[in-house]
Amino acid sequence: MTEQQPPRLEMRGVVKTFGPVVALDSVDLEVGRNEVHGLLGGNGAGKTTLMNVLYGLYRPNAGEVLLDGAPVSIGSPRDAIDAGVGMVHQTFLQVDNYTVTENIVLGTDVSGPLRLDLGEARERIRELSTRFGLTVDPDAVVEELPVGVRQRVEILKALYRGARLLILDEPTTNLTPQEVDDLFGSMRAMVDDGMSVVLITHKIRETLSVCDRMTVMRDGRRVETIERADTDADHLAQVMVGGSADPGDLIDATALGAVDAEEVETVVSSVREEIGVTAQGLVVVNDQGHELIRGFDLDIREGEIVGIAGVAGNGQVELAEALAGVRPVRSGSVQVGGRSMCGLPTAAWLDHGVAYVPEDRHRDGILPTASITENLVLGSQRSPRIRKHGLIDWGAAKQRAVDAIEQFSVRANGPGTPAGDLSGGNIQRVILARAFAHQPRMLILHNPTRGLDLGSTRFVYEQVRAATAAGCAVLLISEDLDEVIALSDRVIALYQGSQAGEWPHGSVDAYEVGRSMTGLGEARV
Amino acid sequence: MGEITEFLTLMIPAMVPFLLAAQGTVLSGRAGVFNVSQEGLMVLGAAVGFLVSFKVGSNTVGLGAAFAIAALFGLVLAYMTTQLRLDQFVVGLALYFAALGAAGLLYREVIGVTMEPPLIPTLDDYPIPLLSKIPFLGEVLFDHDLVVYAAFLISAVIYWFMYKTRSGLAFRSIGENPKAADSLGINVTWARTWSTVVGSGLVGVAGAYLPMVYTGLYTEGMVAGRGWLVIALAFLGGWRPHLVVAGAAFLAGMEVLALRAQVAGIGIPHQFVLMLPYVATLLVMVFAFRWARQPAFLGRNYDRESRLVG
Repeated sequence: MTEQQPPRLEMRGVVKTFGPVVALDSVDLEVGRNEVHGLLGGNGAGKTTLMNVLYGLYRPNAGEVLLDGAPVSIGSPRDAIDAGVGMVHQTFLQVDNYTVTENIVLGTDVSGPLRLDLGEARERIRELSTRFGLTVDPDAVVEELPVGVRQRVEILKALYRGARLLILDEPTTNLTPQEVDDLFGSMRAMVDDGMSVVLITHKIRETLSVCDRMTVMRDGRRVETIERADTDADHLAQVMVGGSADPGDLIDATALGAVDAEEVETVVSSVREEIGVTAQGLVVVNDQGHELIRGFDLDIREGEIVGIAGVAGNGQVELAEALAGVRPVRSGSVQVGGRSMCGLPTAAWLDHGVAYVPEDRHRDGILPTASITENLVLGSQRSPRIRKHGLIDWGAAKQRAVDAIEQFSVRANGPGTPAGDLSGGNIQRVILARAFAHQPRMLILHNPTRGLDLGSTRFVYEQVRAATAAGCAVLLISEDLDEVIALSDRVIALYQGSQAGEWPHGSVDAYEVGRSMTGLGEARV
Repeated sequence: MGEITEFLTLMIPAMVPFLLAAQGTVLSGRAGVFNVSQEGLMVLGAAVGFLVSFKVGSNTVGLGAAFAIAALFGLVLAYMTTQLRLDQFVVGLALYFAALGAAGLLYREVIGVTMEPPLIPTLDDYPIPLLSKIPFLGEVLFDHDLVVYAAFLISAVIYWFMYKTRSGLAFRSIGENPKAADSLGINVTWARTWSTVVGSGLVGVAGAYLPMVYTGLYTEGMVAGRGWLVIALAFLGGWRPHLVVAGAAFLAGMEVLALRAQVAGIGIPHQFVLMLPYVATLLVMVFAFRWARQPAFLGRNYDRESRLVG
């Protein structure tokens, strides 16, 4: 970097409040040219908020933004795009049944308004995708593409619009290790081409492997900006959590990447001899009648956590629902605690101690307009503990809700609060409280910590460990590979509805799991 | 005239109400607005079209008035759903009842109760020069009134707009993922509003065509559930303008068949024969719903600030 050239981006004294909450407290950020800049911090640190201000999604209360030394006023994403800023959000904004090219040109002035000639655009996309190593077929329909490729589409969307500064918000969450490497390679290529990249992340390890500089945020403030050469993982962790506490205690299991060898020793295994759950030859079809689980065998011992690693859409939902008793199986058997469960009504599964924490907590986990009390009653409406004279004893139900709010530290005004008004982490606490009210023999968790803050993530992990100590068999299905590896006593890779590999805790190689998840593994079981 | 030629020649004009109303429904549907007031708008279009034609003496002005009044109802639907974000289905049903009531009221106010119902001239046929001289095809396709040609032309234009223009690409994305469209600078509210206004107008014209093509009379109940069938037709055609044309041919064919079976007197009570189009629709829907695709955001309002969207 030469002295004369102004930095690509300068943000000075940015303040953003939501009502009484100060989300950004006079934050400065400087991103140089040809630089991958890590924006690091726990959930709620303000990193996404800061970038949303830059991208015109939020209006700041104060502060200024300079691009290439010139002050700019960004009031909408349109302004940001025009100023050369591109952003890839965690959830992709794509039209599922459009092709890659159609998605990329959408909203641009390609051909004329009354014509549709995408030939030139297609060539340009091919050229960009070769130049930056973002391999994608311009004519593929996006709904048929895996998450990693859809992310490339989102990046190409920004590049096609001429972005010079690209913001990536937690881009590695649902990627396999191989895809992460490819992504980092592309980011290098962009930077070499004269662009700047801001990488929002809470994972220390990936920050160190790709960033030139990093800014750490905490509680809406910038803590420090550090050169890559001047830091290491321990130091960064200290800065992230504030230097005082033990970092291992405060950062969630996924922050440091795959678990270190020492950490493996410290996990107290509570696996018992007795088999808790047995599934044999499971074949399950989805709503459209396609076989998504094809002959799946599974044994979970009491007190064991079995982790299922896989790319979304390889049958996770169908497997979870079949084992929870909410989706009929086409063939095969499921035994829980020695009892054959297939064909029994869902109520029987619940009564037998099968608890399910679904992936989409808003849609499948709660009734958003019903109160916490009512949500906690669901599933135990037949239980004698909250019934009196054949009716629900709302007094007892309310008392149970009060206890649960206390025990699971749900932040709510009271048991009458509608569940939909709670934050994601608190909704998950309510769902867990309901699951544990049954003293489960089997607990099925699907992406249990997606979108949760640090405290809630840790809380979920603690509850799961407590359940295994009591002998509960746990099936952890997660698209966050780090989480699966960190928590599980045994990891199984799921690819196209069958097992593609199995590893005991402590001998898991993330790359090997990644290969198996994408059908490239050799370790077939 | 052969039996088949005669059947097809009757079928083509019978397609027109289905075609216009269904294309109007598809137009707003692809932007995500699910209109369910078709039956009401068609009855109102028939009444207003008839009354204006009768008073002014011009069917063209009548058709225009029907378009205008139905478009006004469409504007109400668009405003209530895009600005106030009220439930599309509830507003649509309310508009259905309002339109039905307005139609009856208008006819009674303008004509009153008479022993001799007023009559308007039916639409003239305009055989297309040269094309109408082609044996068989000319007679079936090119010897009809102007609204018939217009209905097919409008279908073609809507297809061309949706699939062959950049604006259409942007337009369709709104019904699939309005948040993605919005994030790329596409104006969701405007697209939903104009398509609902124009689409509803077409439904009104579809209704106005009915008294002008067969008898020149307006009778209550002459729309006879076609508006509801149109909703089924939109689904049947997978919300695609070109497939809707095929579906409209099917429904019109059933209608003509029922009519001719009735005239031929085949010994079945005519009430049963009249059920034919509806029963056939039901049967086709059972199979069609397996593969028919609909816009992912059909019937759902878009709120930029809502976190639960998308």
